[in-house]
Amino acid sequence: MRRRDFLKVAATSATGAVLFAGCGRIGDGVPETEFKIAQPVYTPNDWAFGRDAWFATAAPPDQGGYGLIVRVFEGRAKKVDGNPDFPGVRGKSDARAQALVQELYHPDRLAGPQRATTRGSGQFQPIGWDSALQQVAQILRDAGGQRAVLITTRPSSLQAAIIAAFQRVTGIRHAILEPDELVVLRSAVRRLFGVSTLPIPDLANASFLLNFGAEFLHGWIAPVQLARAYGEFRQGRPGQRGLYYHVGPRLSATAANADRWFPIVPGTEGLIALAIANVLLTEGAVPRDRFAPYFAALGLDEARLTNDYSPERVATTSGLTAEQIRELAHALVEHEPAVVIAGTNAAASTNGLFNLVATLGLNLLLDSLNQPGGLLLNPEPPLPELRIADDAILTQRQWAELFQQIQSGAISTVLVYRANPVYALPPATGAAEALRAAQHVVSFSPFVDETTQLADIVLPDQAWLEQWGLEVPDPGPGFAAVAVRQPVVQPFVDAHAFGDVLIQLATQLGQPLPWASQEEATKTLALQLRRLGRGNIQAADDKQFLVTLQAQGGWWDEQSRGSGTVPSSPVVQPREPSFAGDSAQFPYLLVPYPLPAIGYGELAHLPWLQALPEPVSTNVWQSWVEVAQRTADELGLSTGDVVRLITPQATVELPVYVNPAGQPGLVAIPFGQGHTALGRYAEGRGVNPLTLAAPENDGDAGTLAWCATRCRIEKTGRRARLARFEGMVPAFQLEEFPIVRVMAPSA
Amino acid sequence: MPRWGMVIDLDRCIGCGACVVACQAENNVPINTEDVYHQRRAIAWIRLERYWEGEFPNVKARYIPVPCMQCTNAPCEPVCPVYATYHTTEGINMQVYNRCIGTRYCSINCHWHVRFFNFWEPKWPDSLKNQLNPDVTVRSRGVMEKCNFCVHRIVKAEQKAKVEGRALRTDEVTTACAQACPTNAIVFGDLDDPNSAVSQLLAQAEKEHRVYRLLEDLGTDPKVYYLKKIDIEATTAPAGAH
Repeated sequence: MRRRDFLKVAATSATGAVLFAGCGRIGDGVPETEFKIAQPVYTPNDWAFGRDAWFATAAPPDQGGYGLIVRVFEGRAKKVDGNPDFPGVRGKSDARAQALVQELYHPDRLAGPQRATTRGSGQFQPIGWDSALQQVAQILRDAGGQRAVLITTRPSSLQAAIIAAFQRVTGIRHAILEPDELVVLRSAVRRLFGVSTLPIPDLANASFLLNFGAEFLHGWIAPVQLARAYGEFRQGRPGQRGLYYHVGPRLSATAANADRWFPIVPGTEGLIALAIANVLLTEGAVPRDRFAPYFAALGLDEARLTNDYSPERVATTSGLTAEQIRELAHALVEHEPAVVIAGTNAAASTNGLFNLVATLGLNLLLDSLNQPGGLLLNPEPPLPELRIADDAILTQRQWAELFQQIQSGAISTVLVYRANPVYALPPATGAAEALRAAQHVVSFSPFVDETTQLADIVLPDQAWLEQWGLEVPDPGPGFAAVAVRQPVVQPFVDAHAFGDVLIQLATQLGQPLPWASQEEATKTLALQLRRLGRGNIQAADDKQFLVTLQAQGGWWDEQSRGSGTVPSSPVVQPREPSFAGDSAQFPYLLVPYPLPAIGYGELAHLPWLQALPEPVSTNVWQSWVEVAQRTADELGLSTGDVVRLITPQATVELPVYVNPAGQPGLVAIPFGQGHTALGRYAEGRGVNPLTLAAPENDGDAGTLAWCATRCRIEKTGRRARLARFEGMVPAFQLEEFPIVRVMAPSA
Repeated sequence: MPRWGMVIDLDRCIGCGACVVACQAENNVPINTEDVYHQRRAIAWIRLERYWEGEFPNVKARYIPVPCMQCTNAPCEPVCPVYATYHTTEGINMQVYNRCIGTRYCSINCHWHVRFFNFWEPKWPDSLKNQLNPDVTVRSRGVMEKCNFCVHRIVKAEQKAKVEGRALRTDEVTTACAQACPTNAIVFGDLDDPNSAVSQLLAQAEKEHRVYRLLEDLGTDPKVYYLKKIDIEATTAPAGAH
């Protein structure tokens, strides 16, 4: 082609492109226009316009269930962001939400239903959906409802409705596997405030935050909502900056943001809270009548609190000084409104439930419940069908009993949906042995994880971006909210939504559910929201309601607020923490912690998250042992030395990371690695700390106390290279030329 | 004509890394495998640095996100023998990938170390290629790459404004990192528009003596502004010398 011809063609093409674009929506990157979600998705076979569309959907339930938008280009999901309309998040997202596209296009996703060549071998061969469904229906028919159990991770609100309907017709038992710390948190909130939904701190309006260990900025219960509110807490109000004190054993990624960090002995959070209450009482800092429910919840009285939990007494066990405890108490009343939160490590001690009740109960003393800047209780889901049955969430003790029943043959058939008990429960629970002993195991996981490896049949669930659903964020934004999940793309592989499979199985068993599909269930229940006659959507008819719902990504009612009750009788007794192992033989306390990106290992298969440096150590892709600088000096260790980490339970070898913020006497290790399955990005990396933790239970909650084991470390004389970000670029924070500049607050 | 700039409030930044992953997703940045980290060749157009201050128990970990500073007098530009790195009229320091011959002079001359060389052909498993952003070129082996303030978003927004016969609206376009940032620590916009979020933030922060730029003394006039971290235990005067 001659240059002149080329220019002619180019000019014509460019003009055509501009005219074409001018007729409709143009691409992306323009928040005010582009991110206005213009239409619901009708999932055509492909979008071949060469242009973008943004569709609203919802984050997975274990990531907060908030509203998202997804950029779709020619039928492929390209980018995930927060839904700008959705309350609480307002257009914001996090690394986990961004990585949802990697779940969708993951190279190790199961391409369709599979049958194990030999049970437990981890080898599968494809089968057809019709055959697979018939086989599973026959298995359920043979087992009968009483001899089958459905183990799931926390389901979406819509899946909870379908599971409940499936249970009604089949009689199958439902068991939910959640991280222990959340089981304890739910239990504490239920006992303390009489609600089954999680509360949310109103950080955007708070003046002071006292946090006992909760990783609220890095993957805890609602990381995006809380992070967004944190930004407002710090710099969102002219002339007013919120103050944040963190009490916990580690300078975690969240604690690093605190104005002051108070390092403590793990498990003493509750005792410190009692000492704070003691100061508030003896100094008359808060009205006396506020103490009644606090005393009632903890079975205390004024004399016992005054005598047994003085700052001086608690100082001997907690690692804080009496003066520091008084400082915390004074800060609570000097900076109003103040709010107290607690979780993560605080919930993982042998006295975890007491810790959370005593710490969260401080909100009763501050009268911060449902007050601006305080702890906001969330209402129950707007429809009873969307409620997740609390009694289905099992504790460690109950899991052990369940696996006993499976091994004894009382339960013959196990259905597992996205839960991975073989990895996520300690080996002593007996999950793997039970599944091997079960007559039939059916998995609905999209990936071959450790549990799915033991399955006979796998019916892979669709990715979150491929399916319909409704999601009640837990915790919500302080009022009723429901996010709608819609498929933003056609299924990338031959997977069926879990809800659809349950509906089809029920039909094959001759007991059809009320809905023909997960899509129909979504729309039917969504229309029940319209029947409530309240909320943000004004629509003339059902169709308009659904279109509006899908376009804006959810329904919410700011008038529907949560309310609770205060305890009138003891819900837990004060307890000191205990640790497994002899202190002479095992001189250090082992503090495991969830990684901000991959959590407890459920997201270890997503490479963006594996490659995202852990903020404090900057380590990636592996496990390591964090030791304090002083400990390292005593033992002659430096970063990269391989040590033997020994607990009464097990021994592993790992490289050391010398943490300048490490507390002497503690050794920390991240959760998340140690997978033997779950795909190429997860397998064969590091260790799972659950194998190291002694089977100590929280005596009240019945959960595993994974932060209650002693350990020792021995040098091996070997070294290993730690994959880490630090040192990637030369960067030095010199005193006279600081990279991060800091200043005192303005007067 | 806009003059694009960014404000990063270190008092809001929580070190979550949402910006890092959002940038990877938007700009087809290759997956940083374990091997890549071992070789010290990870690519992150915006990275999160962590600095230690003090000793236990009075120790602080400080986070700072570092993208390209988009220097007005960029030292990376004059050293490129083939003009692959250049300055746009809107103030963005750009890289022309198919002009780059990989001398890496620009990288050597960048004091912020925000230019990255593709030592290998970027690879994704076939299925993950479905996620790649069609608006952004995948860089080949032997080519430098860097943050460009999501210029493809800017171009599209400007094109749209042109088609609609109007000027670009205030804060009509933003970068992937700023869009994702859950605490609103990162804000992007037109430094010459007094109504833009960045201008207003800077005006307010100037009054509070919170504004600074990295390695400002070098005189390159970076267009990424930082707002100082507030620390109740800081003893320095708010005026903040240096």
